[in-house]
Amino acid sequence: MPRIVREADIEWEGTTARGSGVVRATSSGTFELPSTIASRVEIHEGKTSPEELLAAAHAICWVTSLGSELARLGTPPERMHLKCTITMDEVEGQGHRIVASHIAARAVVHEADKATLAEAAAAADAGCPFSALIRGTATVTYEATLEGGS
Amino acid sequence: MAESTAHVTWHGSLLEGAGTIESVGSGVFSSLPITWQARTGEEEGKTTPEELIAAAHASCFSMALSHGLAGAGTPPESLEASATVTFVPGTGITKIALTVRASVPGIDEAAFLEAAEAARVGCPVSKALAAVPEITLDAALA
Repeated sequence: MPRIVREADIEWEGTTARGSGVVRATSSGTFELPSTIASRVEIHEGKTSPEELLAAAHAICWVTSLGSELARLGTPPERMHLKCTITMDEVEGQGHRIVASHIAARAVVHEADKATLAEAAAAADAGCPFSALIRGTATVTYEATLEGGS
Repeated sequence: MAESTAHVTWHGSLLEGAGTIESVGSGVFSSLPITWQARTGEEEGKTTPEELIAAAHASCFSMALSHGLAGAGTPPESLEASATVTFVPGTGITKIALTVRASVPGIDEAAFLEAAEAARVGCPVSKALAAVPEITLDAALA
């Protein structure tokens, strides 16, 4: 398979504590976002943080894995909604660490029962490259529920 | 402790369907379109997990470096960092290349390179992504 390269950059003015930065999606041009250290560790005040961007990345990665697994089982999803929550904590002797990522998925899937969704979700979590990447250093958990159907 | 949340919805199958990053906790972005084609082929104005990881890593590295430089008594005037993520379908992320050009009054090159390397190794995103086979750094004073 071909290698795929994606790029983003940030311009940061001043120190971490008092400065601020702008993160840009240079590959797709889809976003240009303000970021500060306060938005990362205190309240976000409408600014993003590395962890929020990782939460968005994990949510997409997982939702595409779940869709693939449901299709593979013969029950392609009609619609899926997924929430990812990343937790960063101060770990004694190690400073700030990303300690956990939790996925909460809701799927509308015709003709899928709970067991099928559970099987697809387990395979999705095992197969999601992002889950695999951070499992060595953080706890990855998930829950998946069927919505509006059998 | 800090928690960050993102919401994504997806309609249809992986190859023919499409998704949206509906919202994030900060509200700073919403309705970013995503597709599998954007992830593996041409972007066509859609973002991907790898692009978001690149943005997360570039921001995390910048914060760690500016923090380290300020702690050493040589706060930066400005930093411009980038992260380039290489994704191989079926394998995963194989490489992240960080670059930084910095304007730091009163620092010598050796001290700057040491601070940059410490940020590459120590920033929380680098630690979380320690399973990536290769995380490289190209650092220079502007």
